[in-house]
Amino acid sequence: MTTPTDEEDRDLRYAEYVLGVLDSDARGALEREIARNREASARTAAWSRRLAPLADEIVPETPPPQLWTRILKALEFSAPTAGAVGPWHSIRLWRALALGTGALLAAACAALVFVFVSRPPVPPIPFMAATITETDGQVGWTATMDISKARMIVVPAVPQAVQPNRTPELWLIAPDRRPIPVGLISTHVPITLTLSASLVELLGPSARLAVTIEPRGGSPTGQPTGPVVAAGAIGAAGAAPPTAVAMRLARPTRSLV
Amino acid sequence: MNDTVTDSGTLERLLAQVALRDRNAFAELYRHISPRLFGVCLRMLGDRGEAEEVLQEVFIAIWNRADGFNPTLAGARTWLTTLTRNRAIDRLRQRHADSRTDSFDFDSLPDEGRGPAAHAEASEDYRRLEHCLGKLDPKHCRSVREAFFTGATYKELAERSQVPLATMKSWIRRALLQLRTCLET
Repeated sequence: MTTPTDEEDRDLRYAEYVLGVLDSDARGALEREIARNREASARTAAWSRRLAPLADEIVPETPPPQLWTRILKALEFSAPTAGAVGPWHSIRLWRALALGTGALLAAACAALVFVFVSRPPVPPIPFMAATITETDGQVGWTATMDISKARMIVVPAVPQAVQPNRTPELWLIAPDRRPIPVGLISTHVPITLTLSASLVELLGPSARLAVTIEPRGGSPTGQPTGPVVAAGAIGAAGAAPPTAVAMRLARPTRSLV
Repeated sequence: MNDTVTDSGTLERLLAQVALRDRNAFAELYRHISPRLFGVCLRMLGDRGEAEEVLQEVFIAIWNRADGFNPTLAGARTWLTTLTRNRAIDRLRQRHADSRTDSFDFDSLPDEGRGPAAHAEASEDYRRLEHCLGKLDPKHCRSVREAFFTGATYKELAERSQVPLATMKSWIRRALLQLRTCLET
């Protein structure tokens, strides 16, 4: 027969668990009980409802940006491959161009051909990095370029939300050139983009990177159609190892694109 | 943006989407709630490195266990806060005995944290809890608050307050029963 005192005692164990005053052994025993017993789970939840509001007193603090990247790595969120490389590198684009039906994409092609023929190759810089700042000044993405492997890794510094049918697209802005699409990137996972040889030639300290928000699948025109949400300058990383590259921040402007 | 401007409906919707493996929702949830949860880790652990490690564990647990969130038992903010406190308490228990308890200035806690965080509007739940805490014996109230914010065991609380273990247990258990009664009326 359960007396009121037994009943209180039992409920108090869940309260003690929620408050956190039990030692490891007692906590472990209760956790096993809560996991298999619905009533224990409900009573624990009731105590959480009663006590958790005390946490409202704690001053919130934004965690350091690299913590989000560490969480993504720990969860092994891998970068999507197909579709993540953007119109410039997409097989469909090349197929369209080969078939002569890529009218909408001709602008991108023209821009690249123009710079390709007009700009002498520059000596490759082995490793470069750009921090792409959002227009409110916060770092949005960090792009690290490994020139020897012709690839770029774009890591979101903080998670951001975009509309479900929209996607951020990365552009290379070389001096006096039209923007060149680099690829579609993500608001929440690191993306590795493969760079064409001609794009690699344009990477250098005078070039900049910008991010626009485009329809899913990338800009339909080959040129930016959405707002610039972030921009940053490319800087030579010099002799620093890739993990310690010097970041150069650029004041983002809408005149980039 | 942090959770003080996020209504619980938003958090609940995001948790439901995370349960369906929606990474965008996970990113948005992180934006909304990580400052609050990081604050909890910092407060309980008193060490930035450990607080970061625990927050990482918390978000991995959120990703893996969001399908266990049951909004009929507790709201999203409560669930997330409880998950975080439990991880922080687990970390505290892993620490070797008394490695840092002596260096923590517990006397500063009860008044320093009193009242909702400056920028936040007190939630209705908080106001009710604070009202009920105010009716407790001050010694009991102080012990409950210290337990909540530091994750200390009965034994540690008794040592800090220099009272016998049985006395500390009786203070806290009495306080919890009074709180339950007060909050249910």
